[in-house]
Amino acid sequence: MLGCERASLAYTDGERTTYALRDVTVTLAPGRFYGIMGPSGSGKSSLLYVLSGLKPPTEGSARFGGFVYNQHSSADVTRLRREKFGFVFQQPFLMSYLTVAENVVLAAPQVDRAARDKAARFLDDLGLSDMIHKFPSQLSGGEKQRVSVARAMMNDPEVIFADEPTASLDHANGHRVVDTLAAWRTRGTVVVVTHDPEMLADADEVLLLRDGVLVESRPPESLPSEPKALHRTGTVAPI
Amino acid sequence: MHHPLSAITYFRRNPGKVLPMGFVIVLSVFLIASISSLANSIDRTILTIYGYTNYFTYVIPQRVTQRVPEEQLAVIRDDARVERVMEASLFFTNIKTVMGQLPFVVLGLEPEDRAYLTGRIGTSLLSGRMPAEGMPEAVLSEALARNKNVKIGDVIAGPTDEGGIAGSPVPVRCVGILKGTVWIAMTTKSFCDATFLTAPRSTVFTTRNRADLTAVNEDLMPARRRTQGKLSPSKVLVLSRQNLINQVRDSLSTLFLIMGFVNGTVIFVIALMSGMLSNIYFTQRMAEFAVLAAIGYQRTRLVTRIVGETFLLTCIGWAIGALVTFLFLSAFRTTLFEPKGLFVDPLDPFAYRYTIPIPFSITLFAVATIALRLMRLDPVTIIERR
Ligand SMILES: Nc1ncnc2c1ncn2[C@@H]1O[C@H](COP(=O)(O)OP(=O)(O)OP(=O)(O)O)[C@@H](O)[C@H]1O
Ligand SMILES: [Mg+2]
Repeated sequence: MLGCERASLAYTDGERTTYALRDVTVTLAPGRFYGIMGPSGSGKSSLLYVLSGLKPPTEGSARFGGFVYNQHSSADVTRLRREKFGFVFQQPFLMSYLTVAENVVLAAPQVDRAARDKAARFLDDLGLSDMIHKFPSQLSGGEKQRVSVARAMMNDPEVIFADEPTASLDHANGHRVVDTLAAWRTRGTVVVVTHDPEMLADADEVLLLRDGVLVESRPPESLPSEPKALHRTGTVAPI
Repeated sequence: MHHPLSAITYFRRNPGKVLPMGFVIVLSVFLIASISSLANSIDRTILTIYGYTNYFTYVIPQRVTQRVPEEQLAVIRDDARVERVMEASLFFTNIKTVMGQLPFVVLGLEPEDRAYLTGRIGTSLLSGRMPAEGMPEAVLSEALARNKNVKIGDVIAGPTDEGGIAGSPVPVRCVGILKGTVWIAMTTKSFCDATFLTAPRSTVFTTRNRADLTAVNEDLMPARRRTQGKLSPSKVLVLSRQNLINQVRDSLSTLFLIMGFVNGTVIFVIALMSGMLSNIYFTQRMAEFAVLAAIGYQRTRLVTRIVGETFLLTCIGWAIGALVTFLFLSAFRTTLFEPKGLFVDPLDPFAYRYTIPIPFSITLFAVATIALRLMRLDPVTIIERR
C-alpha cells in the first residue's frame, strides 16, 4: 500500500515558511485509479513528490508497503522509483538525441532484446508503431506525451504517478493518455493530478486538496462539472 | 546494440557538440607532441653528430699553436685502459644543424692511424678512395656527406667558407665515402700540417671498449668539474662524449624549461577552455539528468556517465592527436627535418609523455563542477520549471 502519514512539506524562504502540504494522511490501494484535484498551489504536485519519494516530507512519513522512505538512504529510494514506480510529467521530457524506442527502453530495468520488444509493444498499443525510429522533434505534443506514458510503463510499475499529463494536450489526446493510464489499474495503482474533472470521470476516487490540506476524498460523480468552480474556492489564483 | 545512454550513442547523435571538443583535443595533443619532439630532437641531433665520441676522445691544447704538452700526453699513455694514442692535425668543415652552421672536425691522421681508426669505428670505404698524402682531399662518412649534400669530387671546405673556424685556404675535395651512420671525416696529417700552420695539433686516443672510454674520460677530466682530473684544464681540453653532452644540455636547459612552462600553460588553458565548453554542454543537458534521476537512475551512475563520456572523448582525441603527430613527423622526417640537421624521432616517448596530462586534466576540469551539481541535483526543481 502506498501512503503517507501526517506528512507535511514546508518551504522556508528566509523567515517565511510556506506549507505546500500540511498534515496529510492518505492510503492508496492497488488496483485503483486516483485523481488528485485542487486549485493551483494547493499542493497537488507536492503530494505526488512525497508519495513517490522525490521529496522527503519535512514532517511525518511516506511509505510504499513496508518500505518507509525516511528509514532508507536516498539511493535506496531512487532504486525504489526505478523498480516500482512510473512517472509521467506535465512535459514529456524526452531526450532529443534518442529515438522514440530508445527513450522508452531506457526506463527498463535491463536494456536488452526483451525490453526492446516490450517497448515496441507499448508504443504499438499507444498507436505509435510508425514512430519507433523517429526522434522527438518529429512528433506532435500528444505523440510525445504518449511516448512518455510508454516510458512510465517500461518497468512494469506498481504505481504510476502522472502530474497534469494532459495540461498541454488537446481534448482527444488528453483522453487517450488518461485512458491508457487508467487501464494500468489492472496492474497497480494509478495516481493522476489534473485540473480537468472530465479526465477523472473514470477514476475510482478523487482527492481534493486546498492550501496543502486534504479536504476530502470522494467519488468522481460528485465533482463539479465546471473545473473553474474548483479554482474559485482556492486561495491562489490559477496561472 | 548500445545502451541508449552509452557514450557511443551520444557521440554519434551529437557530432556538433562532440567534434569541436575532439578537434581541440587533437590539436592540442598535436601541438604539444610535435613541439616537444622537435625541441627534443636538438639534443638527439647533437648526440648523432658527435657519435664518434663513442669510439674515441680527442684532446686539444688550450694554446692554439701548441701540441698537447708532453707531461699531459704521458698521463694518457700511462693509463692501462688506453689502447692507442695518435697525434692528429685537424681542420673544420661546416655542417647544417637546427642551430645553424656548426664546425665539424676533419681529422688529419697518419695512414696507419687512419687505417686503425676506421677499423675501430667499424667502417670502410663505400666508394672512391682514401685521401692521398699531402693532397687537399678527404673522406666523409655517408651520414655526413648526406648532411653536407656532397658527392665524390665536391669541395667540402674552401677559402670562401663562412663562419668561425671552418674552411681551408685551398679547396678540399671529397675523394671517398665511408660506410655507416657514424659522422666522421678524415684527411692526411701531412696535408693539415702543411696547410694549417696555426692549427692545433691534437691527440686522439681510444680504449679497448666503450665503458673504459667513459671511465678514462672521467679520470682525465671529470665532465662535471667538481673534482680535479689527471689532466690540467688550463693546458688541455678533453672533448669527451660526456663533456659535449653536458655542454649541449646546459645550453638547452633554459629551452627545455621554457618548453615545459609553455606546455604546462597550453595544457592548462586547453583543459580550462574545453572544460568550460563541456560544462556548457552538460548544463544544457541538466533536464535530461533530472528526468533520469527522477525515474530512478542513481546519481553515481549519472556522474560515471559524464566522466566516461568525457574521458572516452579525450582519449579518442588523444589517440588521433598522437597518430597525427606521428604521421606528420614521419612524413617530413627525411624530406624536411633531416636535411636541416634535425633528427626527430616520430615515436619519441619524451614528446608523447608531455601530452598524457591532457585527457586527465580536461576530464577533471569538465566534470568536477558538473559532478558536484549532479550529486546535489533536486530533479523536482527542473521538472517544475515550465
Ligand atoms: N521550491 C519551492 N519553494 C517555495 N515554495 C514552493 C516551492 N515549490 C512549491 N512551493 C509552494 O508550495 C505550494 C504548493 O505547490 P505545488 O506545486 O504542490 O502546487 P500544485 O497544486 O501542484 O499547483 P499547480 O496546480 O500550479 O501545479 C505553493 O504555494 C507553491 O508556491
Ligand atoms: Mg503542480
